[in-house]
Amino acid sequence: MIKKILIVDDSPIARKMLKSCLPKDQGFEFHEACDGSEGVEKYKSICPDLTFMDLTMPVMTGYEAVEEIIKHDRNAIIIVVTADVQLKAIKTVLDSGAYMVLRKPLKKEDLLIALSKAQDTLQKVE
Amino acid sequence: MNIDKTQIFTGEELEILQEIMNIAFGKSAADLADVIDTHVVLNVPFISIMQVMELPDYIRKHVKDYKNISIVEQHFWGRFKGDALLVFSSGSGKELIGMLQRGENVSLESDPIEILERETLMEVGNILIGACVGKVAELLKDVVTYTPPMIVLERYYEDAISESEFDPDKVAIVLKTNFSFSEGDVSGFLFLVTSNDSIQWLREALQIFIEQYE
Repeated sequence: MIKKILIVDDSPIARKMLKSCLPKDQGFEFHEACDGSEGVEKYKSICPDLTFMDLTMPVMTGYEAVEEIIKHDRNAIIIVVTADVQLKAIKTVLDSGAYMVLRKPLKKEDLLIALSKAQDTLQKVE
Repeated sequence: MNIDKTQIFTGEELEILQEIMNIAFGKSAADLADVIDTHVVLNVPFISIMQVMELPDYIRKHVKDYKNISIVEQHFWGRFKGDALLVFSSGSGKELIGMLQRGENVSLESDPIEILERETLMEVGNILIGACVGKVAELLKDVVTYTPPMIVLERYYEDAISESEFDPDKVAIVLKTNFSFSEGDVSGFLFLVTSNDSIQWLREALQIFIEQYE
């Protein structure tokens, strides 16, 4: 079951928008980071079941953070949520091990489908 | 004269505007990447509020390392109205011509290089500005109209930005993002400048946008 969720995005409003699209009755435990570097550190310390990752961030980009997290945990489920919807950007993060890519602005229905898929994957891994 | 941003927008409104700019420039980059086979490297957008009279110096400060610059400018108007200034580093026009020539369907024939540079920069500028401003307007439930692009080609940055173009009584909301291409020596800044005429509408539109996520 997905319990711990890490949201990595430099924009507080983007983190708020994402949380608002997630079901309120699942008892998720949210953790937040505002750049890729902090995201990697938090990933290592809290071991979230699911990570949402922006790409364009200061300090460390989401591209680098995905690579670092996958290096640490090759089963990490990372859903990239980004405004950078260039095909090369999407291919790069998927090649690095991201689970899927969702485009900003988030649509609630897309997020719920992604959540359900991530849930299935997590159960198979467990 | 310094302006207290919070007198114009709340902190949350500025964050929403910044996120909208981020989404909009992502759309621009994707549209351009469809035309030119390259990856546009995006950076975190930044919002600043200032008196319009401060704007030329602000832009000069950001582009001074380029020495010579080219500027593509378009006015846009709807309820969201203002100017978009796309500033390219020196030599970007020639680089872009080379990148376009790699495409199979592009015929650049034998026009003089300056005309090709002008047309290429205007076309690329039109794509970036149109997609970005259009996306901002779409997210805020507005529709904008554009003037045709105007260009200042390869001029020293101090001379390229004219003081007289800006109405000194107005406040400028400057949305700045810088970009570069993964291939080719092309980089630049996009500045969207909207005046205080749009502020009241913009504040309401930002609230309506975020209410979807409350």
